[in-house]
Amino acid sequence: MTLFSQWTGKISLFTVLLIANPLLLFAEEDHSEIHDLMAHLLDPAAEAIWDSAGFVITEEGEFSLEPKNQEEWDRVLYGAKVISESAFLLSRPQISKNREDWIAVSNLLKGVGDKAFMAAEQQDVEELFKVGAELYQVCVACHLTYLTD
Amino acid sequence: MKKILKIIAISFTLLFGASTYLSSHHAFTAEFDPNAPINITGKVVKVEWINPHAWVHVEVIDAGKTTVWMIEGGTPNTLIRNGITKTTITPGTVVVVRGYQSKGKLCLPRCIANGRDVTFPDGRKVFMGSSGTGAPRDGSDPRERR
Repeated sequence: MTLFSQWTGKISLFTVLLIANPLLLFAEEDHSEIHDLMAHLLDPAAEAIWDSAGFVITEEGEFSLEPKNQEEWDRVLYGAKVISESAFLLSRPQISKNREDWIAVSNLLKGVGDKAFMAAEQQDVEELFKVGAELYQVCVACHLTYLTD
Repeated sequence: MKKILKIIAISFTLLFGASTYLSSHHAFTAEFDPNAPINITGKVVKVEWINPHAWVHVEVIDAGKTTVWMIEGGTPNTLIRNGITKTTITPGTVVVVRGYQSKGKLCLPRCIANGRDVTFPDGRKVFMGSSGTGAPRDGSDPRERR
């Protein structure tokens, strides 16, 4: 096989894969940074929001999950700020590749982080509960579009 | 030439393989088995109204053995929109939940399932999952496209 035909084959494979999903290239380049950011920053921060609002009902009664003291509220504030700042990191050109749709989702995430911060500052449990649902919607929308493993 | 054809064939395999993989990967397939449908009938003993998923704990008594199933639902907001509220699903309510078992089916350390719909004592059947999570299109989600 000539060098030309070898490269023709390789280029056709690459082209077909990119047509199939341009994110394969995108994901390969940035996978580790995005993965680390999700695993070590965003996931724990999201858990801090989700775990701080809601209630549990048993035969014994209803129990709220809301923070009980300033230290617990501070954890929520910290989580909210981490979400906003992580969104900023995700929108950087090194990760976003200036893709408008990616940046739009990052901005949505930043908005949710900011709302969570405000709710935590005001110690508004109901608002925090609503923001928790919004946060999940943004996460799911992004994962369904971009998650590759 | 044969090699070029092989590369093109692999390309198409990867193309369709990648597409399938991408569209199906999310929390549902990571945790639950779409080939393991289950019906759970029992008394609600605990409801957790928390994000990102509400959890309904159902006590099942079978041949004298009591098992508590943890059933994952959609977000609390989704459930409320579908008519499942903290006054309609309370401890003591007997329900029938249709869903899918977790991938680990040995109930260790606990029995876990993803709930698709719940039937109340009055016969009302309500979707209790989330749309667009990649769960099987089994007709339980009124919003899914056929």
